[in-house]
Amino acid sequence: MKISDYLRKEYCIMDLKSTTKQGAIKEISDFLSLSGKVRDKNQFVKDILERESLGSTGIGHKIAIPHSRTAAVESFIIGFGRASGGIDFNALDGDKVNLIFLMGANPGELNLYLRLLAELSRFLMENSFRKALLEAPDAEEIINIFKKFEGI
Amino acid sequence: MAIKNIALSIAGSATSVISAKYAICLAKFLQAKLTAIYVIDEKALKDLLRSKIFVEVEALEYERDLREQGQVFLERVKKAAEAKGVQCDTMLLKGSIYKEVVATTQNLGADLLVMGELKEITSRTEIFYDEGERIFHESPCPVVVVKNQALVEKLYKEL
Repeated sequence: MKISDYLRKEYCIMDLKSTTKQGAIKEISDFLSLSGKVRDKNQFVKDILERESLGSTGIGHKIAIPHSRTAAVESFIIGFGRASGGIDFNALDGDKVNLIFLMGANPGELNLYLRLLAELSRFLMENSFRKALLEAPDAEEIINIFKKFEGI
Repeated sequence: MAIKNIALSIAGSATSVISAKYAICLAKFLQAKLTAIYVIDEKALKDLLRSKIFVEVEALEYERDLREQGQVFLERVKKAAEAKGVQCDTMLLKGSIYKEVVATTQNLGADLLVMGELKEITSRTEIFYDEGERIFHESPCPVVVVKNQALVEKLYKEL
């Protein structure tokens, strides 16, 4: 299983309107709700924010990966949001975040969730991957970038 | 040469259930001993901690849940095997999945390794990162990749 099996262009927001962490999480969640896999959107956002309260998922390099394993989703979902102006995520390096991947998985999907999170983190370590995401002209290209790095 | 020692790699997925049933059938037919192996993916947890995606408490929670899941699956396999008159040991390990399965298969001196159906490989990275692929390629003994659920269910029912 690969990220591109789950990430759809419909769940990619190329220019987030929100300027806050909470707002961005909610905005991407709104798009993810279109997938039909979110059972309870408010609970999903609440669970994501609860995870954030343990420590920011702003991992540096202008990236944040808010995530939660929660019964509020039926099965694994991933959405993407890009904020050209940057959003304060209390990131570890203190920088604002431009690239946000919001992920949710049902508690029963332990192994799948771990593998996809690990795959995403591996890609995001690559400079060229981050640069491509920052420069992508549209959502379709975001998907293509994943496929390229997945070797498809 | 008789096959007397069969290792079974399970990951807790639907294909693992089928491979477990087939391994039980094989062990029964061959009068072999069966060892079911489940590995907690500690490598993934460590990678996620290192990349700061996980915080410590979160990684511990995942490890606990993976351990519980592993115990449940191993117990199910053991009970199923014993119900069919097959001796079955279980091993709950943690580390890199493919490394642990390969090393344990070697240490057990297994004559055969049974594993679930491999996923369709659609990208180059999957060849390097898919645990099933790596187990298949690096196993020290012959590998049986279990396919055809209907056939396995039939064999298992008739056992």
